[in-house]
Formats: sequence, structure tokens, C-alpha cells
Amino acid sequence: MIDEKLVQLITEEVLRQLEERNFDREKRQVLGESALKDPLDPDSLARMKKRTTARIGVGKCGPRLNTQTLLKLRADHASARDSVFADVDQKVLDRMGLFTVVTDAGDKNTYLTRPDLGRHLNDEAVQVLKTKCVMDPDVQIYVSDGLSSAAVEANVERILPILIEGCKGLGLKVGTPFFMKFGRVAAQDQVAEITGAKITCVLIGERPGLATAESMSAYIVYNGYVGIPEAKRTVVSNIHKDGLTAVEAGAYIVEMFQLMLDQKASGVDLVK
Amino acid sequence: MRLDTTILGKSYSFRSVKDVLAKANEEKSGDILAGVAATSDMERIAAKEVLSNLLVRDLRENPVVPYEEDEVTRMNQDSLDMDVYNNIKNWTIAELREYILGYDSTEADIRRLGRGLTAEAVSAVTKLMTNLDLIYGANKVRVEATCNTTIGKRGTMATRLQPNHSTDNVEGITASLFEGLSYGNGDALLGVNPVNDTSASLGEVLRRLDEIKRTFEIPTQICVLGHITTQIEAVKNGAPCDMIFQSIAGSEKGNRAFGFSKDTVEEAVLVMREKGTAKGPDRMYFETGQGSELSSDAHFGADQVTMEARCYAFAREFHPFMVNTVVGFIGPEYLYDSKQVIRAGLEDHFMGKLSGIPMGCDCCYTNHMMADQNDIDNLAFLLGGAGINYIIGVPTSDDIMLNYQTTAYHDIQAIREIQGLHPIREFELWCEKMGIMENGRLTKRAGDATLFTTLRR
Amino acid sequence: MAEILSVGIDIGTSTTQVVFSRISMDNLAGYFTAPRIAITNKEIIYKSPVYFTPLRTNILIDGEKVRDIIAKEYKSAGFSPEDVDTGAVIITGESARKENAQVVLENLSNFAGEFVVSTAGPDLESIIAGKGSGAYGYSLENDLPVINLDVGGGTTNIVQFDCGETVGKACFDIGGRLIRISEGRITYISESAREIAASLGIDIMPGDVAEVSELRQITDRMAELLAQATGLSHRFRTRELLEKIRTSGSSLLKEDFSPAKICFSGGVAEYIYKKNEGDPFRFGDIGPLLSESIAGNEAFGKERLLPAKETIQATVVGAGTYTTSLSGSTISYSPGIFPVKSVPVLKLSRLECEAVEKGNEDLLRDKVVWFMEQCDTSLIILAMEGPRDPTYKELTILGSTIVKVLDSVLSKDEPIIVVTEHDIAKALGVVMKQLGSGRRIASIDGVKVEGNDYLDIGRPLMNGLVVPVIVKTLLFG
Repeated sequence: MIDEKLVQLITEEVLRQLEERNFDREKRQVLGESALKDPLDPDSLARMKKRTTARIGVGKCGPRLNTQTLLKLRADHASARDSVFADVDQKVLDRMGLFTVVTDAGDKNTYLTRPDLGRHLNDEAVQVLKTKCVMDPDVQIYVSDGLSSAAVEANVERILPILIEGCKGLGLKVGTPFFMKFGRVAAQDQVAEITGAKITCVLIGERPGLATAESMSAYIVYNGYVGIPEAKRTVVSNIHKDGLTAVEAGAYIVEMFQLMLDQKASGVDLVK
Repeated sequence: MRLDTTILGKSYSFRSVKDVLAKANEEKSGDILAGVAATSDMERIAAKEVLSNLLVRDLRENPVVPYEEDEVTRMNQDSLDMDVYNNIKNWTIAELREYILGYDSTEADIRRLGRGLTAEAVSAVTKLMTNLDLIYGANKVRVEATCNTTIGKRGTMATRLQPNHSTDNVEGITASLFEGLSYGNGDALLGVNPVNDTSASLGEVLRRLDEIKRTFEIPTQICVLGHITTQIEAVKNGAPCDMIFQSIAGSEKGNRAFGFSKDTVEEAVLVMREKGTAKGPDRMYFETGQGSELSSDAHFGADQVTMEARCYAFAREFHPFMVNTVVGFIGPEYLYDSKQVIRAGLEDHFMGKLSGIPMGCDCCYTNHMMADQNDIDNLAFLLGGAGINYIIGVPTSDDIMLNYQTTAYHDIQAIREIQGLHPIREFELWCEKMGIMENGRLTKRAGDATLFTTLRR
Repeated sequence: MAEILSVGIDIGTSTTQVVFSRISMDNLAGYFTAPRIAITNKEIIYKSPVYFTPLRTNILIDGEKVRDIIAKEYKSAGFSPEDVDTGAVIITGESARKENAQVVLENLSNFAGEFVVSTAGPDLESIIAGKGSGAYGYSLENDLPVINLDVGGGTTNIVQFDCGETVGKACFDIGGRLIRISEGRITYISESAREIAASLGIDIMPGDVAEVSELRQITDRMAELLAQATGLSHRFRTRELLEKIRTSGSSLLKEDFSPAKICFSGGVAEYIYKKNEGDPFRFGDIGPLLSESIAGNEAFGKERLLPAKETIQATVVGAGTYTTSLSGSTISYSPGIFPVKSVPVLKLSRLECEAVEKGNEDLLRDKVVWFMEQCDTSLIILAMEGPRDPTYKELTILGSTIVKVLDSVLSKDEPIIVVTEHDIAKALGVVMKQLGSGRRIASIDGVKVEGNDYLDIGRPLMNGLVVPVIVKTLLFG
């Protein structure tokens, strides 16, 4: 008698292996790092490379970097800079139904050199929020570009729905989410004052590194006001596909919301 | 004391010495952010003109943070060498500049001179220097310090090997460390920036660094750059440690924002004397960087170069083995682009030397600055010419833990070869013994980290 | 920081031991991110003396006497069963595993604390002994391939670690008590010892006079077999014999594995490291002869010998300190759902996992129904790698597929328990709860399991952030 389950299992395994082979081929990129030629112990080098994401075992020409290593570095740097200087794709914001307000920073260079302006909304922007947002919510969530538009593009569609659904699941009144361009973290204090939210949470792009330009942070404050001490903010950082994944961060943050509402506190005052 | 001037028919006046110092500074985004910068190039030059005619005593008598309010000011003022000071107190800052650059002053003269200068005077003369002045002036002086080995000897340029890891994994740290050693890095220090600031975690990394240092008999120093209080705890708990580190600021308020004071550093010095693993006598390591005071609102309305000079005044009281500015780490709101970063790197190195401390530089940049690796090549090379004690080395310039770029393991040797410089002597001999260096160059085998893993078996 | 008390109990053919250890855990994440709880320290706080295992027959354990030993040792250590949070009982021996396990389960259930379980299987023993001996730690810290041979009374458990990763494990019926001697005469000879003797043309029977030279030939062959099995010697072909003495249920070692260090643990190992003096039969067995033979075999060259941190106690120390791991630190579960013990794991392949992620209920239902029938169980744990960085939509499809299927298949009171490798458990838990079947739900990540595994999941620790997890590869009884 033929065990059909067994046949199925074997078929699946073969398919899986074939698939993995294809997967590896796709993963191969143009800019790989060049490897050290003729190490004394290739196995040991391979093991060391598994231990760290640092670019080791790259070899040299004279005392200098090999061309592939150099170009890979420059490519990663270019990608990081693009994520700082590019704007968030409007299509992403449209898909999430987010309208935009702009801080006083006005343009990217002013934003980078004048953190004070990135923390402030002018009267016009305030009016927009007052018109478009639900007032006095339990939780006001919004998105800001911060130092990485790539972080917003990579994560917002993953994290925002679970935050909103999670809050609804807890029976909380959720504010109207929006996008703030050229925003610094502390702009959330003005948002808290405008909307009268108990909790204000900004999802903001972190300063990109060479390893990832897609890392996002959530800064959360209970009863925020302009001038609130930094220590009163609760931070969840390192949200990206190789760190804390966006959906998981969302589920974790929803729990933080509940904790903050229970304790009426955030930041150092919050007992986790 | 004259605080106004007329240049090309236009009059400029300044409120105070502090105001003159701020407006005489080369353009820095941090001074603009603080609202203390000159509003035009002409106003900047006017301030330089006024500054050039102020006396050394004017600077001493007008510290940017009041004596009564600030222990950094008090330490600086109280420890001044009064013999030296009395000889130069009536010099103008212009005369001070020309003395430093002139053929008549020797290395010993300038070393002695520094002991009679307050931070404000050091900052003042820096503002009258061009970039080449800063390089030329700095190159006249060497500041040596001794921990296990001696750093700063003329003809040497060292590196701090910085094998950071994103989770402090000791095996990952070891892998990066072996890679760096194989490129002849690490004569100044094997030093890790930890993620986890607990004494247990620091102890674990320190023990590994110590084991490697002893197994391979490397003539160097080790340090894990946690918070000063955590390091003290780790050393008290028996962790092997050659140096204690702390980031410092130019005011007591700034230092308190970093979570320590003069007393804390004094405790560290004592602990290291009793329990440290280094021969000494120099067992402290400080890092600085223009703009850090402003970020904790501890700048007292002063410009960032003057606040930086005050860091060095603070540092020299504790006889550090190493001090370096982390020049491009703080971001574009303090140093906007490569021009400002390179200027700041040269200023900081010069000021450190003039203050009498063994100075290095972390030539670095973040990804939101207007700078790239070419600019960092430039700065490192210029500082080599200025006679810097050390720079940093990380794998290919990418620091995976601090998320910024600095000089690569591959950079130091290129600079050494072009400028005729060498590692610290004992370390160079060790590199030769290990087959990493030969006749002042890297060998074919250099760059192979498995050199160490094969020996370790 | 939190601490748990872990017990390790090793009941072997020849010896029985107990250790208590304290496992510390802490949140290693910085202040500014989600928690990351990890084990920070493992400290052995009590080691029992080594007891000879009380036997009723040559192979069957005397359960009551074993229970007395354990009771005495709990008392000496100053602990009661309620104090113990986790741990493992390992039953080792060349035969009658199943029967002995049953005896132990019956006699120790009161002593084993709420969470202590009987667990065994030659592969797991190999790994546990290799961890307890220090071979694992050495391999991890020095980035080296290391092999550990735990030579006990009845079996030799072998494990290969590369860079701290287990790459191969095996078990052979070679040990110090396979031939027993009393008053100069052989009293017992095991099946495998008989095979080995036969391969040398030696025919011995219980009652024969014990000849050192003859027995030494046998132990020399045993040592050579171990060298062959581990690929360290290729002197002659023994594949057939090796297959005969392979412990049933044992895996195969990795071929082409060249260890930088060789470590010996187990009772016989004592005399590999130190000189063996005195009457070779003073323990009533061939243990001392076997250790001499191993020490004398060139394949295990002295320069590669790694001193074991634990020899005779490697297994019990490993069982007490290395069997428990922690889940991920962002998980989701209904209150009171844990602990669960010995729950069979249905592991979805990557392909099946993808199908379920796309909403293929039929495939999942077939699989679950088939598995529950196979295992004759009402409670299962559904395990998968899980998507790495899913969108919310993908997650809801996955969650609803699981809930719909399990809700229709599981009996009324059984909870839905899902474990994933990737860090998605809290989000998946939230999604599943929102679908509101009213059933208790647990979603745990950071757990890597294989098909045929069983899981124990303990009471939540660290303010409920994590749960302790024991993965078992074989279960009996």
C-alpha cells in the first residue's frame, strides 16, 4: 500500500528545496562584498562572519579597500542619504488615508539644522488638525518622516492598522491619524495640546545607518504638553524587518497604551 | 578692553567677551542654532579683529561660565600656572597667535605656555587661526602619555581599535577585533562601545579583551566605554581594565547631564590606581565633541568652540592617556557639512594640544550630514600632518553599533606610509613578530583575521 | 531580574544523580526598546553524591529505591518539590528505556515538581551531556568544531558542535558496565559486548573467569569503534558492526567533521584524564579498562584532548541547566493557560506555512486532523517558521485561518497554541483574539522545533513577559 501522506511529504520537500535554490539565485546581488583571498583558515573566517554584521574578511589592495567593498559601502551610504533627503511616497500616504501637515521647518535643510522649527506647527496647520481630527481621543496616533522617509514607507502599512485595530479592540477612542512632514519628536506635544488626546504616539523615521535605512521609532507620551520633560516619553525603537517587526511592535505598543491609561503616566513614571 | 571696531567704514560693537568669542567663530550651524553666531561674514571678521586685540588677561577674567556657578571654571582658573600666566597676561591674542606660529618658540615653550592659558584664551587664539595655522601650530607640539605603552611620540600615529557589536556579543566583538589587529590597528587601545551598560556586561567584554591582550602578548591598552559609574563598579567587581572612559562637557551642568561630576572622575582615578590592570600613570580616557553642551542646554550662551576648549581644561586635571573629539557624530544641527566638520576637527586637535592633553580624533560623520567618506579621508590625512596621537579604526568605516561612519582599519596604514609615520614602537615590533608588518608596510598575510584563530587553538 | 530553580535528575544504568541549579534571567534590551529577556547566568547550587542506580533486575530500575534517593537529595539540598520551577529527568541506559521510564514516571511524579518532566532519547542525551561537559561552551567561545563523547555505563553518547551549533549526534551501546565482574568471574555481558567480542573471535559467557588480557582486547576494540564512528580512525572497516551496536533511535553523526578538540565525559571519562591505578575490576566492571583503551588509542591524540568541566556529572548538569530555554519577549496568551506538558507539535513545512498564510483552510484542516489521529491526542501545538515581516492584512489571514480550522477541529475546552520562529507572536495573538472564538489562545515565538517534537511550556516569568520552554525530541510512556 502506498502511504499517500508520505508521497505528499516527499513531493513537498523536493518542491521546497527547488524553491530555496531559486530563492538563493534571486538574492544574489550585483554588489557583493569581495572576500579575503586565501585565508589561513577559511572555515574559521566563515564562522567569524556569522558572528557579526560588521564587514570583516574583506581583504585589501595595498593598505586600501578592494573595489567591491568600497562600492558596496558607497551604495549603502547613498541609500541611507536618499532615505533622509527624499520625501515619503505620496501613494503610501494615500493608501493609508493620511492627510499631511507641515511643520515650520518648511524644507529639508532647515529641518536638519533647526530642530526647534521641526517641533512647531503654525496657526494654519493647527487649524487643519482642529478641522480634520476627532477631538479628545484616548489615543492620537500620527506618522512623521523624521530622518528617514524609507522607514515610513517600509513600516507604516504594517504598524498603523494593528495599532488602530488593537486600540479599538480595547474599546478606546482612536484619533484621526495623519502625516506630519519635517517633524521632530517633540512636535507631538503640540499635537497633544491641539487634539486633547490622553495619549499621543508618533511613528517617526530614525536616523539611518548603513545596515538599514528603514528603522522606525514610536515615541509615546501621556497627557503631553509643550515643554514636557523628555523623560516622560516612552520610546519603542528599532522597528524594522530585521529588528522588532512592525506588526509585533504594534501589538506591543497597544499594550503600552493600556498600561499608560491604567497608570496615567508615561516615560520614566511608567512602571512596565 | 575694547569691544567695538570699525571695518571698511562700518561700525561693529559687541556686548561682552563671550559675545566676541561667539561671533569670531568660523561658521557653525550649532552657533546659529544657539543664536550666538555672527549674522554676516563682515561681523565675523569684526569680531576677530576685536578678539585679536583683547589681552590674555581679558579672557581669563571673563570666563564664559561664572566661577561661582561652575566647577569646570574653578578647576581651570585655580590650577593655572601663575608664573607663566603673569608673563603673558598682557599679550594680545594676536601676539599669542604669532608666538605659537613663530620660529622663536620651541616645543617646550609652547608646552609651558599652555599651562598659563585658560580655556577661553585657547579658544580665542584658535579663532584667529586658519586651517593650515591649526595644523602647523599643532604639529610643533607632541603630548605624550603613558598607560601600558607610551602614546604621542613624534613619528608615531596610533589607532583605537573599535570592534563594536550591535548586541555586545563577545564572539562578534572578537571577530572584529582580530580583523583590526590583522591590519595593524589597536596600538592606542582595544576599546568597545557597549550596548548594555551593566557592570556584568562590561566585565564580560573586558575579560575577553584582557584574555586576547594577554594570550597574544599585545602591547596595548583595553577599555569598555560604558558610563563612568558602571565602569567603576565593574573594576571594583574585579574586571580587568586599563582605562576608565567618560564623555565630558565644558560645564558642570553639561557633565551633570552626562550623569557625573568632578568627584566621580576623581573616584575613577583612585579606583584605577588601586585596582586597574595598567602600569600607568595615565589611566583615563575622555571623549568630547562640539555642540554637546548646547544639546543639554548647558552652554551658557557661549559658542561651541569655547565650550569644547573647556572640556580640555577639565580633562587635563585628570592626566588622561587619551582624549578625542567625536567630531562629526552629533549631527548637522551642530556641524552642518564637511567644511564645518573638518574645521572643527582641526580646531579641537589644536586646542587639545595647546591645553596639554594627548589628543586623538574620531573623524566621523552620520548619514544625515552633508559629508561622505572622502571628507573623512581628508580630515584624517590633515590630522596626520598635524601630528595627532591617534584616530579610530572600524571594519571598512562602518560602525554597526553606533550607526555612523569613521575611519576604516584600512586607513591608518595608508596615512602612515605617506607621512612616514609608524605605530607605537612596541606595537610595531609585535606586528612584525606576528607577520602583519614588515619594513613599515603591511605584509601579504595582513588582513587575515584567522591568523589569530589558528594560533588560539 | 528573575531566578528560577531547575532540577536535573539523571538515572542511568549504573549511576543516579541530582543537581539543583539557579537560572537567572534579565531584560537585556535598552530602555528605549521592546523587552528582550535572556538567560544571564546558570549556577549549580547543589550536587548530590553519585549513587549506584538501584536495580531490580540487570536492566530494570528499582523505582521505589530511586524515589528514596531523590527524596533524600531534595531534603539535603533544602528544597521541596514545589520550589522547583523547571528541569528534566533523564533516563539513560542501553535497554528497557520504555519500561524504566514508566517506572520513573510512576515513582517520581510527586517529586518532580509541577514542571519537571521525564524526557530522554539518545540524541537528546548526547546534546545534554555535551553541554554539561563544557564542550558546547568551548565550541561557542572559541569558534571551533568540538566533539564530545559521554562514555557511561551502558552507552556512549556523541555530539558534534560547530561554533556552538549542534551539527551531529549519535549513540552507541559502548560503556563501562556492559561486562560486569564479581569475584574474578564474569557475571553479565550485554548483547552489544557479545557482538564486539564475537568480532574478535572471543566467546565469553557469564560464569567465565575474567581474563584481563581478553577483556582488554574487547575494550581496545570498543575504543577503536568509537574512533571509527567519529571519523577519527579509518584503520579497518567496521560499518556493519557499528550499525549493530548503534543505540536504537540514535541519529547519525556528520561526516567530514574534523574536530579541533575532543572532550570526554561520563563515568568512564574520569580515568581518561587521570592515571588509572589499582585493580582493574575494583568497580566490578570494565570501566577502568575501557578508559585505558580510549586513552591509549592514537586517534584521540592527547594534543586535541579538551579537559571536561564535568565528567561523570556532565549529563545531570546538562539536564539541570541546559534543557530550559526562553520564549521571545513579546508573546501573547490567555491567563492561566500555562503550564502545559508534553504536547505534541505539528510543524508546518515552509510550503504548508505559505499556503496557510494565503488562507488555505482545507490543507491545514487535513493536516491537523491527520496529526491528531496519528498522535492520538486532543491537544496540539501548531508550529511554523511564520512570516518574517508580514503586513497587517497577511497577519489577519494567517490568524483567521488558524482560528477557523482549530476551532472546528479541537474539542471544546482545548486551547489554540501556536509557536513561531519569527518574532510575530504578540501581533498574531492580538489578531487571533480579535476573531473572538472565545477559546483560550496562546501565541509564542522564538521557538524552533521540528516535526516529532514535544513541548513543555511553563508558567510565565519576568512579569509575564516570557515563558520557559523545553523542547523534547522523544517521549515515551
